[in-house]
Amino acid sequence: MSTQTPPRYPFAWTPPMQVPEALRNIHKTSAMEVTLPSGDTATLVTRYKDVRALFADKRLSRNIARPDCARISKDNDLFMDPNIDPDPPEHTRVRSLVTKAFTARRIEALRPYVQQVADQLLDEMEAGPQPVELNEALAFPLPIMVICKLLGVPAEDRDQFRAYVDGFLSVTKLSPEEVGACRQNLWKYLGDLIDSKRDNPGDDLVSELIRVRDDEDDSRLNDHELHFWTQGLLIAGYVTTASQIGTGTAVLLHHPEFVRAIREDWSLVPSTVEELLRTQIMGSSVGTMRYAIDDIPLSDGTVIKKGTSVLLSEEGANVDPEVFECPMELDIRRTENHHMTFGAGLHYCVGAALARMELQVATESLLRRFPNIRLAAPAEKLPRALGGFMEGFTEIPVEW
Amino acid sequence: MRVTANSETCAVSSLCVYRVPGVFDQDEDGLVLVLDESPAESLYEEIRRAARGCPTKSIRVVEDSEVGEAAQAAPAAPAAPAVETADAATGGAA
Repeated sequence: MSTQTPPRYPFAWTPPMQVPEALRNIHKTSAMEVTLPSGDTATLVTRYKDVRALFADKRLSRNIARPDCARISKDNDLFMDPNIDPDPPEHTRVRSLVTKAFTARRIEALRPYVQQVADQLLDEMEAGPQPVELNEALAFPLPIMVICKLLGVPAEDRDQFRAYVDGFLSVTKLSPEEVGACRQNLWKYLGDLIDSKRDNPGDDLVSELIRVRDDEDDSRLNDHELHFWTQGLLIAGYVTTASQIGTGTAVLLHHPEFVRAIREDWSLVPSTVEELLRTQIMGSSVGTMRYAIDDIPLSDGTVIKKGTSVLLSEEGANVDPEVFECPMELDIRRTENHHMTFGAGLHYCVGAALARMELQVATESLLRRFPNIRLAAPAEKLPRALGGFMEGFTEIPVEW
Repeated sequence: MRVTANSETCAVSSLCVYRVPGVFDQDEDGLVLVLDESPAESLYEEIRRAARGCPTKSIRVVEDSEVGEAAQAAPAAPAAPAVETADAATGGAA
């Protein structure tokens, strides 16, 4: 064993449009030690085959509220609520209450609303001065408005909870006290929201979860869980999609040949979205923290020992040359693109279909509205977020 | 080709429904339904892709060449044990 400090993780994207060197070399071993922002170390599983299998492996627990599990951040215990067990059977019970809101039919029924919101945001963008900062104009407001509609959050509260969520997702940006304050504020906000929905239920997911909580078997969802999962949906449904819309678009605009190809054939939008999802994971894989509750052999015989903190490298799996031809190349026509960005197995991202639909609407609407849209700053100078769970570009000036 | 799916392991990704809407659908809870167990040959490639892409490997495709032996077992035995074994085998392969 080497005595060197394992490499820092997440790997830094510098320069911003170039795949990190560490990621190019990641498949030489099936697992590697990495140092997290907290200073703790964890084992990063690197190859597609193993990552995919381990997402479905019950020997990896998703309950990371254990004293000996690595922490991502010293200042933020995100996802480590000891009252919640995100493993089966607890997880299965809660998940099945939520999935029905995310069927293809429900998502498609939301598409006209998403289109309407996108059109309205683009109207405002068109009417204002150039250049425009794309995150503020489109990438962040669109998913916020959609998740608010889905969950039943009043429109006037959006800015307020956006601030709470940003603080909540800090890794090193804010002090533990500041993170705590944001978390408390968000928790209180959700408590008030739940109370008001109890009095005035609507046609939204929070009202539906309350109905399940109150009307049916009391063991199904307790108040704490109701709070926790509402918070999870709110956070997961907003920042991830927002970062992906902004950063995916920036990368696309950096490749005018692809923009031209899409304009000639709009049916390329979905495969473009998938390819950007494959190559531009915004949160690296810090959200995949798992804990081995047994020894787990990988496909090459390497054994993950019981008690190890494990990260499943979605971004490593997504550029595994065993699975993807020319994995470092952006190919918007890839048809076989089973990337790991939304995970796999029973924890597969419940909002994946919603995210895909939002990304498709945002990409197509933007390119249709502004035939000459381009980056208004050199791509290599776009700043990336630091100190949070999301690492997308923080400023994306565009003009047309 | 014969297509079956295991709704017990389904994670509601909706990928199969988007890929081959005439063959796959979802029930009220979002769980996978197979609308056409013996689909047209023109759909075979897309169905294979859907099966490969399913995040929980809940779709099972029996090719025509294998159909003879599967025909007896398929109606009685749900795909669950086979899928579980497949996942465990990949996860634990040394």
